[in-house]
Amino acid sequence: MPESLERYRLPAEVQERLEELEELSEKAEEGDKEACRELKRAVRESAPAVIARASDVSRRAQHMLIETASGGSKLTQYALSGRLDVMREEIAGDNPTPLEVLLTEQVVSCWLWLTLFDVLNSAQFQRKFPDGAKRASPSYLRHMVKLQESAHRRFISSIQALARVRKLQAGTPGVQFNTQINLR
Amino acid sequence: MAWETRNGRSYYYRSVRCGDEVHKVYVGSGELARIVHERDVISRAAEEHGRQEERRELERLEALCAPVLELSEAAEILTRAHLIAGGFRRHKGEWRRARIP
Repeated sequence: MPESLERYRLPAEVQERLEELEELSEKAEEGDKEACRELKRAVRESAPAVIARASDVSRRAQHMLIETASGGSKLTQYALSGRLDVMREEIAGDNPTPLEVLLTEQVVSCWLWLTLFDVLNSAQFQRKFPDGAKRASPSYLRHMVKLQESAHRRFISSIQALARVRKLQAGTPGVQFNTQINLR
Repeated sequence: MAWETRNGRSYYYRSVRCGDEVHKVYVGSGELARIVHERDVISRAAEEHGRQEERRELERLEALCAPVLELSEAAEILTRAHLIAGGFRRHKGEWRRARIP
């Protein structure tokens, strides 16, 4: 990663906390009761700070993506920033937990990432190409479509993660529809 | 692209790919062949330059996506830790509240 992008990365101490949480989660899932107790303590004590830092870095990364997607147009930058604010409000809802805030940031970031690649790729697939513009090579397009697919998968899984956390934290069973169809 | 010399005279050939096969196509000899060869060298250099530009652009875009990927992974770890600490267990890929013994 270029040096200019280093400030969009998670700090080393946050990475360490994440590794610790991951290790404890694995042990707890395998049935280690001591690890489970330790995980509860770590989630209570260190997770809020980690979540806050991750959310902060996420916002900075969004800003960087906005700058790229807008192509230097201030108006587009403001419009995209405003759109993200509206999305955040709509998705996070009232009184979100810190984890919901982080997952909301993830949904918003993935949406922005996906939108950026939608715009870049759709320009390449235009039937009529502007005069003087050069069409990209097939290998470049293949790579771009792969990145777009990856963005799409991340976007969907981020929405699923938020929905799952809400459903499980609310402790309510999923809605079930039973439809009766009478056939003669 | 190659020059072949026979009996002291140079002949210019191009390599043309047809599917999996590469064919050698005769272009000519003398001054005209030299001009065609120079044009081929220039267009090949332009193609290489274009490929390098594309590689740089892809690297830039991948670097732009890296923080989002890193944050997605962080969010996954934190979600999993919260759910396990909250008394949930994964059963065949589905999260369920663990039974209290």
